Amino acid sequence: MDWVGLIINGLCLGGLYGMLGVGLALVTGVMRFVNISHGEFIVMAAFLGVFASLQVPGINPLWLIVPVAIVFFFVGYGVQAVLFNKVVTAPDFLAPILLTFGFSIVLQNVMFEAFGTNVRSLTAGGLARESISVGGISIGVLPLITLGLAILFFVVLQLVIARTAFGRAVRATADNRDVARLMGVRPTRIFNITMGLSLALAAVAGMLLAMRATFTPFSGLSNLLVAFEVIVIGGFGSFWGALLGGFLLGLAQLIGLHFDPDAGIFYVHLAFFAVVLFRPQGLMGIKLP
Amino acid sequence: MKALIALLVCAAIAAAAGLLAPVYDWAGGLRFASEMFLYLAMAQMWNLLAGYAGLLCMGQQMFIGLGTYCLFYTSLQLHVSPYWAMPVSFVFCGLMAALAALFMFRLRLVYFAIGTWVLSDMIASFISRTPELGGASGYQLSDVLPLINFDWFDEVIFWIAAAIAFATVWGAYALMRSSVGLGLMSIRDNDLAASSLGVDVWTNRFIVFVIAGAGCGLAGAVYFTAQLAMGPAQAFDPNWVVAMLFITIVGGIGTLEGPILGTAIYFALREVFTNVLGLSGAWYLIALGGAAMVVMLYAPNGLWPVVRDRFNIRGLSVRRQPPKSLLAQPAE
Repeated sequence: MDWVGLIINGLCLGGLYGMLGVGLALVTGVMRFVNISHGEFIVMAAFLGVFASLQVPGINPLWLIVPVAIVFFFVGYGVQAVLFNKVVTAPDFLAPILLTFGFSIVLQNVMFEAFGTNVRSLTAGGLARESISVGGISIGVLPLITLGLAILFFVVLQLVIARTAFGRAVRATADNRDVARLMGVRPTRIFNITMGLSLALAAVAGMLLAMRATFTPFSGLSNLLVAFEVIVIGGFGSFWGALLGGFLLGLAQLIGLHFDPDAGIFYVHLAFFAVVLFRPQGLMGIKLP
Repeated sequence: MKALIALLVCAAIAAAAGLLAPVYDWAGGLRFASEMFLYLAMAQMWNLLAGYAGLLCMGQQMFIGLGTYCLFYTSLQLHVSPYWAMPVSFVFCGLMAALAALFMFRLRLVYFAIGTWVLSDMIASFISRTPELGGASGYQLSDVLPLINFDWFDEVIFWIAAAIAFATVWGAYALMRSSVGLGLMSIRDNDLAASSLGVDVWTNRFIVFVIAGAGCGLAGAVYFTAQLAMGPAQAFDPNWVVAMLFITIVGGIGTLEGPILGTAIYFALREVFTNVLGLSGAWYLIALGGAAMVVMLYAPNGLWPVVRDRFNIRGLSVRRQPPKSLLAQPAE
């Protein structure tokens, strides 16, 4: 395989990995809240995508990303309002981890009871096999679309957080929620919307993942691990760090697979340690932009 | 002292149960009790890490896996009974924990949690694609079966498991009463303040990490000896740390009695859901997750502190009491 093709495909996979991580990075950055159930929501979105595509035969699953993401925005808003806001003010960081940990076990096994252990995926029709050829390098269309969507979502999220009034309220809440409240911001409402956005991004990641690979109700944990690796090497709460981390891990995986065909995710872990041991604060170890 | 006597009485009951077992054919009950003791030992080790040393180790299953592999490898290569390989697992996992600590202690809090989890996953994937280490299928103890006396197998495993459980509970109690324990609790509460008072944060955490690694390695090795077979997927299963986490937080993190209560609840839930109600394992796990959530919402410190405060039990408290002579005199 040509090196340029390898790198481009690695970046495409990296875009997907970045999408897995960015929702988690948003919540961690804004609320200091580690959501262990993020991986389960990614898988749930994939299931919703599969069933939605069965209802509308012949539709290109790419069009389903928007409605599924909107559904998950409201799911996130509701879960945060009903459940997660009860522990978000806890003094130690353990309480949210343990609550969402319990929640993830519940979600995973409810999915198992509802859908069984069959391996599933979203069939993107002819799109999955199409590829374009530039200068003798052939690149799949679907991975390219994934990369394009990932970059689009990163840019939009960055603009929303950095330029809008809502983004200003989010940053203020992240910095000091008590002072933000004095300025007329309602932290719980900001948290609800943030969790909604986070799960909407998780839904996009889940749909893209389901188009690229297979999944089962038990895929949540491995997705969560990749998402964590992305945001840890990116630096907690940094969006660009998450994208950069995703690129790095995607490249590590494909270059590793090139030399060692049954390596699986081993070289992703190796790359993770290479970064983390030399830069424990992550590549872009800063708070929100 | 009372707590120590209570522990000794429990140990005597356990020893007697093992002796009487062949008479009354309690093999199933013994296996169940062995499993409980081993889970208690693992959870107590995890409690030491997360509840006292402030080390949220999400990759603790790596030591269970390493201990198991060490036992099977030693036993099969040297052709010795697995019982003799158990101390080797204990020492090996302690050394491995020391080695891992050199790197992992560069990471803090959530970074440490994720880092250890990734390390465990990495070791598991390395082993499962290395044919020299058994590959994806793992090992069976079939070659050394003649070295095991199966008339007393369940009983011996039960005694070993019980001994490990009592040793971890008593060991944790002794450790927390020592200066290391005092240093640890001060670090957990505020590591900056502790280190400015001269507490060596790194060394105190290192000691606990090595003890917990060795303890989990030994418990895992005994668990899989009882199974007579293992594979990388089972030995390095992330569900080990899920069980330790559940037991510790539901029982009460940062109390020595918490894991005991948590283990009882964990196994009671399992028996009720799978045997009494006859539901699938998934429903049991849903109940487990739900129980963890309810406890986190309504009793964030776990159930033991609630029971303790309600009935005013001192139990295995490691709180230091001022001398009575000081209490008797009013402050001037």
